[in-house]
Amino acid sequence: MAPNPLALIAEITHRCPLHCVYCSNPLQLADTESELSTGDWLRVFEQAGKLGMLHAHFTGGEPLARQDLTELIAGARAAGLYTNLITSGIGLSEQRLQALVAAGLDHIQISFQDSQEGAANWIAGAKAHAHKLELSRAIRTHKLAFTTNLVVHRQNIDHLEEMIAFLEGLAPDRMEIAHTQYYGWALKNRAALLPTRAQLDKAVEIVAAAEKRMAGRIRMDSVVPDYYARYPKACMGGWGRQLMLINPAGKVLPCHAAEVIPGLEFENVRQRTLEFIWRESSSFRRFRGEEWMPEPCRSCERRTEDFGGCRCQAFLLMQDASATDPACSLAPAHHIVEAALREANVDTTVAKPASASSFVQLQQRTADLWSYRTNPDSPLTTEPRW
Amino acid sequence: MASLDDSSQPRLAAGCRWGGSEEDRVILFPEGAIRLQGTGRQVLERCDGQRTFGQIIAELQAQFGDADPAKIRDDISKFLEQLWKKRIVDY
Repeated sequence: MAPNPLALIAEITHRCPLHCVYCSNPLQLADTESELSTGDWLRVFEQAGKLGMLHAHFTGGEPLARQDLTELIAGARAAGLYTNLITSGIGLSEQRLQALVAAGLDHIQISFQDSQEGAANWIAGAKAHAHKLELSRAIRTHKLAFTTNLVVHRQNIDHLEEMIAFLEGLAPDRMEIAHTQYYGWALKNRAALLPTRAQLDKAVEIVAAAEKRMAGRIRMDSVVPDYYARYPKACMGGWGRQLMLINPAGKVLPCHAAEVIPGLEFENVRQRTLEFIWRESSSFRRFRGEEWMPEPCRSCERRTEDFGGCRCQAFLLMQDASATDPACSLAPAHHIVEAALREANVDTTVAKPASASSFVQLQQRTADLWSYRTNPDSPLTTEPRW
Repeated sequence: MASLDDSSQPRLAAGCRWGGSEEDRVILFPEGAIRLQGTGRQVLERCDGQRTFGQIIAELQAQFGDADPAKIRDDISKFLEQLWKKRIVDY
């Protein structure tokens, strides 16, 4: 029997004021009308606590777009869960922050796009940078854990040292340096985001030096991007082993991107309990354990460490969700990742940030480089509107 | 860099707290949890920001009278330093 899950990822909305080009949300976003109600979420948190889960991660989209967020945090906390808010900070006034802390928020994680305002707004497709600075100062007046999260990629990795110094100045407890993972919008924009080998090597050195310097003051968490690693990442700590993700519409997924895999049916918290879904659902059982594994995973010593890598990546890159993750150097299809890397290392030019007064203009100016993430209720391609 | 001496007053860092049940106590912190049984729990329950490091050592040396007091001191320092590096304990 599977052990109990450890954490719940509550993707409470897909609405977001930012349009980040590396967003890991699915291309097909859940619309506002389909979102779970406050009561649905409170019931889910209670079930999660009873199931022995320890953490609830509130994410989106932008979780602050839900007006009932304070109530949801209080509900999760009352169910015994450690509450973590993963946010851009847009929409968070000092007053609302205070209410969240009073409701029992344990940890806040603010994402940063860059240390330079122009570049940050360029990646996010919105003016957000100045507000985040102000908010970071307000956070430090409260007693909760504060993490800054920086997503790094080809366009910003060259000034990583400067970005780390900038984040250090905000005095977080933790700093996460997250290399872009290629799902959803990021996969669509991969050519503009994948760093070169030289960029990556330099970044690894910079992170190691910063970790040493900040020891005991700021904890550094950083993972090498799987495209450049020898072995794949243990995605979600293994399929159906530690985590449950609930999307805005109540579908329960073993991982953020699981909906891309055809043939899987996902249960909904409107009809089923978390315990049933964890133990009985075909989707959670599909890639749990080792029975589904092909060679070379099946006889590989590392199968209990990385669990064959990421199922969604295997599907996205080779249309076969039960193949060895192509990011693994032992995978029969590793040539697919190698080809992407070759391409990234042939032309090493990096685009210059474009500026514009509106999002639509920004989209037009970068059309040959990447697509900005849209919002749930808007169509995938923006048509001109008069 | 903060160093641990007899007058330090160790405490749980911001955003770290106790959770779980009475039989199964855990320390919850960003992105993780540590299950604490036995001596680790004894040490951390005393890290209340009031007691000094010196007091914590003395209390545990008294409680575990059979063990070598120097080893107790050494083990507690190492344990707290590990947690300090992970930003779970401040002193």
